[in-house]
Amino acid sequence: MALAGTVVVNEIQKRFILLWAYKFNFFTQMFMIGFIFVGISFFMAGGQPNPEMLASGLVGYLVWFFALAAISDMSWGIREETQTGTLEQMYMSPLPTGVLMLGRSIASLFISILMVGMSAVVLVLALGVSLPITWTALPVFLLTMAGLYGFAFILGGATLVFKQVEALANMMQNVLLFLNGALLPVDRLPGWMEAFAKTLPTTQGIIVLRRVILDGQSLAQVWQDGSLVGLVINSAIYFVVGWFFFRWCENRARRLGALGQY
Amino acid sequence: MTAAIEIDGLSKVYTKRKSPPVIAVDDLSLSIPAGQIFGFLGSNGAGKTTTIKMACGLVLPTGGSVRLHGFDVQRQRGQAMRQIGAVLEGTRNVYWRLTAWQNLLYFGRIKGVTGQPLKERAERLLRELELWERRNDPVRDFSRGMQQKVAIACALVADPPIVLLDEPTLGLDVKAGRTVKRWVEQLARNEGKTVVLTTHQMDLAESLCDQVAIMSQGKLIANRPTGELLGLFRQEGYELRFRGKIEESVAARFEGFSPREENGHTILSGTISEHGRLYRLLEIAEIQGLELLGVAQADPNLEEIFVELLDRAGKGEHSPAHPMNGRLPHATIREVI
Ligand SMILES: Nc1ncnc2c1ncn2[C@@H]1O[C@H](COP(=O)(O)OP(=O)(O)O)[C@@H](O)[C@H]1O
Ligand SMILES: [Mg+2]
Repeated sequence: MALAGTVVVNEIQKRFILLWAYKFNFFTQMFMIGFIFVGISFFMAGGQPNPEMLASGLVGYLVWFFALAAISDMSWGIREETQTGTLEQMYMSPLPTGVLMLGRSIASLFISILMVGMSAVVLVLALGVSLPITWTALPVFLLTMAGLYGFAFILGGATLVFKQVEALANMMQNVLLFLNGALLPVDRLPGWMEAFAKTLPTTQGIIVLRRVILDGQSLAQVWQDGSLVGLVINSAIYFVVGWFFFRWCENRARRLGALGQY
Repeated sequence: MTAAIEIDGLSKVYTKRKSPPVIAVDDLSLSIPAGQIFGFLGSNGAGKTTTIKMACGLVLPTGGSVRLHGFDVQRQRGQAMRQIGAVLEGTRNVYWRLTAWQNLLYFGRIKGVTGQPLKERAERLLRELELWERRNDPVRDFSRGMQQKVAIACALVADPPIVLLDEPTLGLDVKAGRTVKRWVEQLARNEGKTVVLTTHQMDLAESLCDQVAIMSQGKLIANRPTGELLGLFRQEGYELRFRGKIEESVAARFEGFSPREENGHTILSGTISEHGRLYRLLEIAEIQGLELLGVAQADPNLEEIFVELLDRAGKGEHSPAHPMNGRLPHATIREVI
């Protein structure tokens, strides 16, 4: 436990320093992403978005923001570290690799929470929407993130073995934006597409988060209507599959000599 | 006593779709005693890096095993990793955006060291490597040599008994190369660490390594104490010095020797592999009425030996690599190589 704590704090520290080193990039990106949201919302509402629509869109958009970060940490992030050799150094740690990878993911999530939190505050104030977040949202949020990181692990594993997954990662980021219900609710999609969208990570999470945050439903309510159950199943599958796939890819990369650059 | 590194029947075949399998390391066995500076020599693609990475648990062997102070890298990963630190070839190894100090703390914790002991160790390393003054600068602002020193410091931060350095002086200027060399020497001599380094700089291996293994196409084609390896060939290289010029037809009688002129003298140089040969050559000289000024053993350096060995290996003259670790009596050395 103490070990895991040290690993997490160590990773968070590193991420903070790196974030600060790239602060210009970072703030430009944050601004861009915020700006795009405003643009899209106005566009979709024909120039007159109502606060309710904005709030609903914002919940989805913020979750997508997390997806953006998780996916890029696991694909570009890992790819860069295979090239700099720092990933190999990490794999030479005597600590269990699983603990290190989990530590990285938790650090990644932690940084995202700060980033998204900051953007959320700015957007909420700028757009005048209300986002009454309560503690009920926390377990739903964490479940959503578990599924998301499971998904990101799949891309991370693929990055280790195949190297060139940038295009795939990029596509997934866009697919998620349009299909996870962030911008338009999935029940407005054609039936087959809705079914597909609901198998993606974050889609179900966004549905439940909206019910909890915007409609003020309790956990019991969302459990009874089955939406929370769906989220638990979706996230559990993604997390377990992603985790084991990643571990399998690590092994495969060791076989190929692909943990470092070659 | 168990060896610091025990490599047993190690092999690696890289298989990739759409390309023929590459045998990078071929049934390598080798044992490196603690406290030694051990050099892996070999041309590009000989399998040095693959061997190092298998010792680090970064590349999975196709067969065989590596033990670090008795701990199997595959089966006892955690304990095995506590035995080593490594600086790998051609990459940064550390975060360039972090400062030297931040890197040391980060990698220290990754390697399971924390708190005050970590800080003390980091400070000591930075001071010894003359980086202390600049500990708060990002590594990317450092010179290449300093960056390499930070990488070495990070490899040493958990104070492992074994240090693996893959081409540690590659791309360094002479001065930085020398600092790294001095530091490596000090690690082994003063701190008793086992240092394994790969290089294709012969002079570095010659002046630094206690023992040298030469790899070619994944196989060991020599493995001997550096002095012995040099001595072995020193016996063979001879120079016969004669007064005045020697006609070509006469020089041709000294089979395998090539003439060159120096200050009006003629020097015939070549190798003698069998004892009686020298005497027969001197006989020829007497018959030809040449005035012998001297006989000297030529001093080959490791580079020449290396080239010679690779040559022989190429001709298939070596028996399969026997990692005898220099324990063989002299007479049989030829077969070993
Ligand atoms: N990850 C890899 N995938 C495929 N082949 C590789 C890989 N790494 C090394 N090789 C091949 O294995 C052989 C040995 O390479 P290497 O261990 O890097 O040798 P050295 O370090 O002595 O130059 C070379 O033929 C090289 O092309
Ligand atoms: Mg190499």
